This record gives sequence, C-alpha cells and structure tokens, in this order.
Amino acid sequence: MSLLQADIWRWEYWQGGFWPYIALVIFGFLPSEIWRTVSVFIASGIDEKSEFLEWVRAVATALLAGVVANILLNPPPALASAPLWARAGAVLAGLIFYRLLGRSVIAGVIAGVVCVIIASAVYAP
Amino acid sequence: MNAGNETDGGAWQAPPDSSADASQRSARAYFLDGVKIAAGGPTLFLGLTYLGIGALAFQANVSLGLVLASTVLMWAGPAQVILLAALINGLALPAIALSICLSSVRLMPMCVSLLPLLRPRKPSIATSLYTSHFIAVTAWVETIRRLPEMPVHGRLPLFMGIAHTLFAGAMIACAVGYLLAGALPLALAAGLLFVTPVYFTIALLRNARDAIDWLALGFGFALAPIVPMIFAAGFDLLALGLVGGTAAWLVQRYQRKSAERAP
Repeated sequence: MSLLQADIWRWEYWQGGFWPYIALVIFGFLPSEIWRTVSVFIASGIDEKSEFLEWVRAVATALLAGVVANILLNPPPALASAPLWARAGAVLAGLIFYRLLGRSVIAGVIAGVVCVIIASAVYAP
Repeated sequence: MNAGNETDGGAWQAPPDSSADASQRSARAYFLDGVKIAAGGPTLFLGLTYLGIGALAFQANVSLGLVLASTVLMWAGPAQVILLAALINGLALPAIALSICLSSVRLMPMCVSLLPLLRPRKPSIATSLYTSHFIAVTAWVETIRRLPEMPVHGRLPLFMGIAHTLFAGAMIACAVGYLLAGALPLALAAGLLFVTPVYFTIALLRNARDAIDWLALGFGFALAPIVPMIFAAGFDLLALGLVGGTAAWLVQRYQRKSAERAP
C-alpha cells in the first residue's frame, strides 16, 4: 500500500474522542489560517497611505467580484434550480431596490433573494 | 454615485465622530458602534450562510461540536463548505486540505489591505494574529472603506465590535441550521444560497468610490468566465484577483499621470 492510500488520510480513521478535532486542526484550520499568518508579516511594514496598499485593495476587490460572479455562473445545485437569467436578473433587482430605497443594503438583498425564491419555485422540476 | 456615499443611506453612515469630541470617545464606545453596524444586515446575511453550513454539517454526519469548532477555528465560510462537502463525498484528507488552502488564498489580500489600518501603536504579534483571524469577507466589506475615515484609536475597537457580533450570530445560526437540517424546501435553499452573491455585490458597489474600485469590480466580473479556461482549477481565483486588480491599479495610475501632465 502506498503512502498516499494509507488509512491515516481517511476521515474515518480520526473518529472517537478528540481525534476529529485534531484532524480539523491539521486538515482544516492550518491550511486556511496560514494565509492570515503570512499576511500579518507582509502587512507589518506597510504604511496605510502607500500605493502598494491601494494595489492590494484592488486585488481583493477584483477577487471578491470574481467569487460572486463564479457563484452566479456555476451555482451550487440548489441555486441552479433558478436559471442563469433569473440569477442575473435577481442581482439587478437587488441593485435597483438598493438604490431606490435610500441605499438600503437589507432592502436590496431581500429583493434579490425573493426574486430567486420565486424563480426557483417556478422553474424547478 | 461616488460623491454621496458617506452621507446618505443608514447602512453606510460613519459613527458620529466627526465633531470635536472624536478624540475623547472611548474604545468601548467604538466597540459598541461596531456592534451596531454589524447587528443589522451583515449578521443576518452571514447568519443565513451559516444556517446553510450547519445544515450541510448535519448531512456530512459530523457532530454539532465539530462544525462549531470549525467555525471558531476556520472562520471562513467557503473553506468550511469545501470541508463538509468533501467529507460527504469521502475525499482524502490531504486533497481536502489542498482545496481549503487554495480557497483561502482570498483571505490574503483582504488581510494585507486591512491590517495596516488596524494598528494604533505597534501591536504585538499575538494581537495581530488574533485580529487577522477575524478578517473574512463580511468584516472586510464592512470596514475597508469605513476605517480610513476614522480616528486611528477607534479603528481596532470598531473592527472587534463588528467581528465579534458577526461571530456570535454565525455560531448561533450554525447550531440552528444543524438542528433544523433537512426541513428546507428547494426554493428556500436556493434563496439562502443567493444571499452571499447579492449581498457582496451590493456591498462592493456601495464601497466603490474611486475609478480603481469600479475598474477592479468590473474586471473581476468580466474575467470570471474567462480565467477558468486559462488557469487550473484552484488557481483561477488568485489569478483573477491578481490580473483584475493589477489592471485596475495600472489604469488608475495612468489616469493620474495624464492628469498631472495636463495643464
């Protein structure tokens, strides 16, 4: 048996007592938290008015926009029950309600979510 | 759309600290401002996401304690979804760890852009690590534009107020989602999953003021269908952020240069 197929890499191996929590730390917490830890050291020397910071903020904004677009284009199964045009239209509806109702984020989100619920109820098989 | 953002709309309003007493406001007062900012929409939206994560944990057949521990330790919704979905599908743990690692790259530009705003004095490493642990998308979109306008001593307390309120709401919602799991009709499940994209889209537009913000947003959306064709899955997110963000930054730089040269 090769090292990669060892039982130790299977979730079932880590059952009982505190073992699931130890697996969570090793395979969940550490791979995620490493980016925050690295960031603390990168950020430590940066002035808040620097142009580097402006660039990082633009990268974060573009990345987040990409994450959102990706959810809309390749949605998880339940969300896929509303067709693409309905998902895009619901975002648009959210933005319109946000603007019309005095820049209320809650109003925008509720409007968008209601649109998707209706579309899903109508178009789901 | 750019000019009015600070003054109109309740959700975006800065705490009333522009008057002369700003320097006398205590850390406690700023913390409570943060609690108030988070207690409405942001905690509701994040709570709905964590409702879904709780339900997913039930399907994954892990204990309530474990999914709550994952919320405490990871504090990154997408990474937790990856973990739970992978456990349902019986993936090997190193493969799960790799997917989580690639997904959480998104935290790095957020932490690097926010942390320099959050240090009144030279903070200890422990304080910085604790602060960075609470940086995730919701806290980032609610603070990245607010903090630079605030007095330096109020920023960390305000951020902590927001972060801990979000955290408390997420923990409760996660437990509720776990206990209610399975009772959700499809259309409502679709609505739940739609909260994140519509909330972040509105919040990003609300935050956008300078050309660079609009460009980064536009490039991010425009590149989303293209980038996965060029870059391997997992790396596409980082590539998209780097390409879109750098392009936006370069355009703004070029515009500024030409503005300086013009008479």
